[in-house]
Amino acid sequence: MWGAGLLNGLRITLRNMLRGPITVKYPHEKVELPERARWAVEPTFFEDGSPRCTACLTCVRVCPDHILSLDVETREDKSKRIVRFGYEIGACMMCGLCVEACPFDAIEMGHDYELAVTDPAELRRTLLADVDAASAAKHREEKAKASGEAGEGSDA
Amino acid sequence: MSDPRYEIYEAGLIGEGMHTPPVLPAGLRRAPGGVDGLRTEHLVVNMGPQHPSTHGVLRMIVELDGEEVVTAEASIGYLHRGIEKVAEHRRYDALGTLMDRGDYVAGIMGELAAALATEQLLEVEVPPKANWLRSLTSELNRIASHLVWFGTFGLDTGAMGQFLYAMRDREALLDILEAISGQRMMFNYVRPGGVVRDLPPGIDAKIREFVDTFENVYLPEHDALLGGNEIFQSRVKGIGVITREQALAFGLTGPNLRASGVKYDVRVDRPYAAYPELDFEVPVGEAGDAWDRYLVRMEEMRQAARMIRQCIDGMPEGPHMAKVPKLIKPPAGEVYAAVESARGETGVHLVSDGSEHPYRFRYRGPSLFALQALEEILPGHLLADVVMIIGSTDVMMGEIDR
Repeated sequence: MWGAGLLNGLRITLRNMLRGPITVKYPHEKVELPERARWAVEPTFFEDGSPRCTACLTCVRVCPDHILSLDVETREDKSKRIVRFGYEIGACMMCGLCVEACPFDAIEMGHDYELAVTDPAELRRTLLADVDAASAAKHREEKAKASGEAGEGSDA
Repeated sequence: MSDPRYEIYEAGLIGEGMHTPPVLPAGLRRAPGGVDGLRTEHLVVNMGPQHPSTHGVLRMIVELDGEEVVTAEASIGYLHRGIEKVAEHRRYDALGTLMDRGDYVAGIMGELAAALATEQLLEVEVPPKANWLRSLTSELNRIASHLVWFGTFGLDTGAMGQFLYAMRDREALLDILEAISGQRMMFNYVRPGGVVRDLPPGIDAKIREFVDTFENVYLPEHDALLGGNEIFQSRVKGIGVITREQALAFGLTGPNLRASGVKYDVRVDRPYAAYPELDFEVPVGEAGDAWDRYLVRMEEMRQAARMIRQCIDGMPEGPHMAKVPKLIKPPAGEVYAAVESARGETGVHLVSDGSEHPYRFRYRGPSLFALQALEEILPGHLLADVVMIIGSTDVMMGEIDR
């Protein structure tokens, strides 16, 4: 019968009306992001507050869009100082290749997704500025400590 | 002539030759003189690039005789980003980020094509788990892509409700894909050698729950709401017929080709990933009209849901990534790899000169061929049908313009 499909459609629409909304009232309610969600790149720090970055430049080389930059000063004793770790968030596609490439887990993809700005200058972020880069020795120390703790934990 | 419409002629306000422009604009043909000596001209209408129903930034230059299409020309290039050229400066593991932005509604399949091509160059064996994960995410993405087509195709006919319901289901799918890969559409999940991460814990139950409700509740509802609607049927049946010969001549692939009665599916004919081990059917249409394309895509969603369930049940254990060097430098050579994306055969032709960047990267987007077929099948249809025929072929401007 012509029109039976129309009536059936009306029935389906009514059923959907009773299912209730699936949206949330965004600025007041926020959906929790999955753990793997990739948003802006953020630096990570040791427990004592110093950056984990060793200024090895791996992320700068890996980035497909060339938006990461590291100005580094090397002192006479080979220790490095990060003058500026620059990050052009306006050009970042958040592919996560830099985070995967980092051998020291010194950067991570953050969960901050409210990235709109009113001033274009804010699209040029500085992740780290004027700090001493971590040494590979410090990473080794931490690793040894962590594995030691894990070993103790497994013993107990 | 007592008709008041012709009074201006009788009054001599518009005399012979006065309403004929001396020089016709380019592309405009003068119609032969009509009855009653009334001369009509063909009207050229620019549909798009900002027309809401041309799916992105497609511009159709349609020449009309009254409401009937005389010629139709697709003008493309409004979304050109030079993906193929940019790829020549990208490392092999970053090609997926470009393919995501080609066919941006079905990104996983594009990534997979690039990864398969790179693996052929490297001659890497992909672990079975990676293959199954690739098939699983591909089929999840196929449903998401077909839901976008389903929603917008209905919108083209003037239906609104099913678009919102389709987006609701797609949202659930995108949440699953975000939990697996990290982003909703620009996944960057499939890499040369496998996939970048294993499934997160607890996602199996989520996928199962989605597939159960989608297959048993939502998909039959979608089908009844749009396909069961008599107005939609009478609007769609019989328009935009692409014959078997035309489809083959234009190089159509995917649902558009299968709707014309040719059983060609890359998943079956040139199998990749875990498809040889999956049990599914390839739906084939008969007439090749917009209605058949609708039926084929709806059936493909059903089959994809079936495959997702098989993938979850039969997921093997093991590593999800083969041993691939960090800096991929494949030996010199030339390969072509293709996958069955939501729109057809998405292929990647890679030429390597042994360096860390491809020497040449070519992206075969199936929508481009569908769009070219449109120029031949549109003439003779009404202007109102143009929108629907474009909608039924599911063209994606991201991969046409690249």
